[in-house]
Amino acid sequence: MFPQRFDQAKPFVTLGLALIAWLLVPTALKRMTRATFFELQAPVETAASYVRDVQDFWALKTRSKEELIEAGRDLARLNAAYEVRLQRDAALRNEIERLESILKLPAPAGYRAEPARVVRRDFSSWWQQLVIRKGRNHGITEGSPVIYSGGVVGRVREVRAYTAIIDLISNPGVRIAAAAEGDTRPISYQGGVNPAFGPAFGTVEYVPLDVFVSTGTPRRLVTSGLGGVFPPNLTIGYMTRVEPSTDGLFKSGDVRLDPALADLNEVTVLVPEIEPEAR
Amino acid sequence: MKRPVLVLTAASLLLALILGQINHHLGAWQLHAWCGGLFVAFAGLRLGYGAGAAVSFIAGLLLDAGAPVPFGTQGFLFLAAHAFVFTIRARAPREETVVGVVVALITNLGLFLAMGFLRIDPAVAPAGFWTRGFADLLVSQLLLALLAPWFFAVQQRMLELGGANTRDFPRRLT
Repeated sequence: MFPQRFDQAKPFVTLGLALIAWLLVPTALKRMTRATFFELQAPVETAASYVRDVQDFWALKTRSKEELIEAGRDLARLNAAYEVRLQRDAALRNEIERLESILKLPAPAGYRAEPARVVRRDFSSWWQQLVIRKGRNHGITEGSPVIYSGGVVGRVREVRAYTAIIDLISNPGVRIAAAAEGDTRPISYQGGVNPAFGPAFGTVEYVPLDVFVSTGTPRRLVTSGLGGVFPPNLTIGYMTRVEPSTDGLFKSGDVRLDPALADLNEVTVLVPEIEPEAR
Repeated sequence: MKRPVLVLTAASLLLALILGQINHHLGAWQLHAWCGGLFVAFAGLRLGYGAGAAVSFIAGLLLDAGAPVPFGTQGFLFLAAHAFVFTIRARAPREETVVGVVVALITNLGLFLAMGFLRIDPAVAPAGFWTRGFADLLVSQLLLALLAPWFFAVQQRMLELGGANTRDFPRRLT
């Protein structure tokens, strides 16, 4: 039996020893343990997302036939508009291919679109991430860009067997090479602080001095295509404020992100057709 | 591994999954509940040192698995919180649910602040970071106060079903 004074200190001594032992554990073992703990939780979370889908399905079943007919009519109109755009897109693609063959330009690497349902949203002040229902088994690769109908969602951070974790563009750690719409000069975008009960915000740096925006006349911020991760011209958000930075060479400011980012149920992963290392 | 550790790890897994589902829905309002104190309180107050520390550490690792933090961060925070709770438990009527809830709330507050200091990004405005953090903390504490009595009962019942009794564990280390 130990004296009482040592008894009181024993938990903290054990804590210190455990910390030292943990630092000596090989990284491979830690990585394997992490993957095991994640995969242990993944089936239940995935099952819960399927249950939510079934709930949505039954909720939609309660809609009246009139509502369905209206929705079908609206979709038919949208489809007609998209058909026209597809034809124009095909004509432009042919023109690009013709010019590339004349100028002997190498064709840019393409992306395979992989739609995926959202399993879990995790939006805290510390991190902003999504777990999606597709992973290594579906060919998802780490670092792949993720988009939705409104623009950029984020980037794949971790890939597991049948799930993947995405860092949102609102995550403070995410940086993207961006540009103001209609301008080719690069701007640095970073995720920022995300206030509760409101849309997420990001910040921009290295904005050229001749770019002017205000809350009343925001300017669209798009991906620049530099860095090779995101294709160019995808919407990141809208710059609502820019002010000269302290060095006077550039401006910095805020970017308002789409509020729909907080309520996503489906996203599309753009899997590079050529591995990023190979490019 | 001892049976109480396995049983309470299963309970931690259940809590982590419930919190995950709650956070999925809270995400639409840009809110997040983090109830780290709830994973530690019962193990710190009712179990022996070894079993309680193992349960707390494993619970931290479960949360670390899907979080963008170095693996072990929450594990060691929970282990430190467990050591603190275990040291003070002899001075409180630890079998009382109210005491458990108060300990869980205080532990959660301390752990939340520690995580906040570990995760703060120097490139992000600290005032905004802590304002959002305060909203998350408020939600976390409210949710914890709601969930704690139920979760303590679940843990107690699971231990009884697993053939262990918390009265077997002494107040102090022997």
